[in-house]
Amino acid sequence: MRISCPYCGDRDAHEFVHRGDAAPRRPTSDDGFYDYVYLRDNIAGPMREHWYHAQGCRNWIVVARDTRNHQMSGAVLAREASR
Amino acid sequence: MSAANSVVITEQSGLGLAAVMSRKGVRPAAIGAALGLAPSEGPGRVGDARLALIGTGPGTWLALTEAPDPDWSLQLAHKLTGLASVSDQSGGYMVFRIGGNGARALLQHGAFIDFHPDVFRQGSAATTVIAHIGVILWQRDDTPTFDVATFRSYAHSFRRWVETTAAAL
Repeated sequence: MRISCPYCGDRDAHEFVHRGDAAPRRPTSDDGFYDYVYLRDNIAGPMREHWYHAQGCRNWIVVARDTRNHQMSGAVLAREASR
Repeated sequence: MSAANSVVITEQSGLGLAAVMSRKGVRPAAIGAALGLAPSEGPGRVGDARLALIGTGPGTWLALTEAPDPDWSLQLAHKLTGLASVSDQSGGYMVFRIGGNGARALLQHGAFIDFHPDVFRQGSAATTVIAHIGVILWQRDDTPTFDVATFRSYAHSFRRWVETTAAAL
């Protein structure tokens, strides 16, 4: 699987660390913290995921990927995605 | 190995190396203005023997000089006061110069990136892995000659990979 890093370009997946669903947002209070830390949907289809380019530019990126066929439809730096 | 795909590898010594990480909100142009060059915003090498910046990530560069003063990294940090953090890496990395007409084929055996001259040319750079060893590499000229920086403690292992792989070219 190749992942298109916004900085480095196309790279093999083994350079990256997979974190998973990029949708959860850190809650401002203790309410919802358990869900934020532990609960993840197991989506079959297009989703946005966090990947860390550990063996490249060492940045977190948000990748839009279809989990059924690994088709990538875009990637941005996580710091830009969170703005 | 035949003469048609020879590889010449030399260890570069006496280099000054430093990691430059720009502060939040500081544009690459501001770093460039302070240093008198226009650093690459992507993975690329800009500069000369006196000072070159190799892009390693957004807002981060590996600074390299071939003739460092003893306090070179401090001078660099002084020029970038308020703009970027500078940490001396001269002892942290070993730089190998890999030339010869088999150099491109050699690196293509190790890194999973495209080294075709249409996409990787003089001034191109990449941070990646070769044989599980982290490397920062860039193309110096179209001979082609490449420089590969690797963590110093992995230098022996990297050189061993070069020698065994070059023998199979």
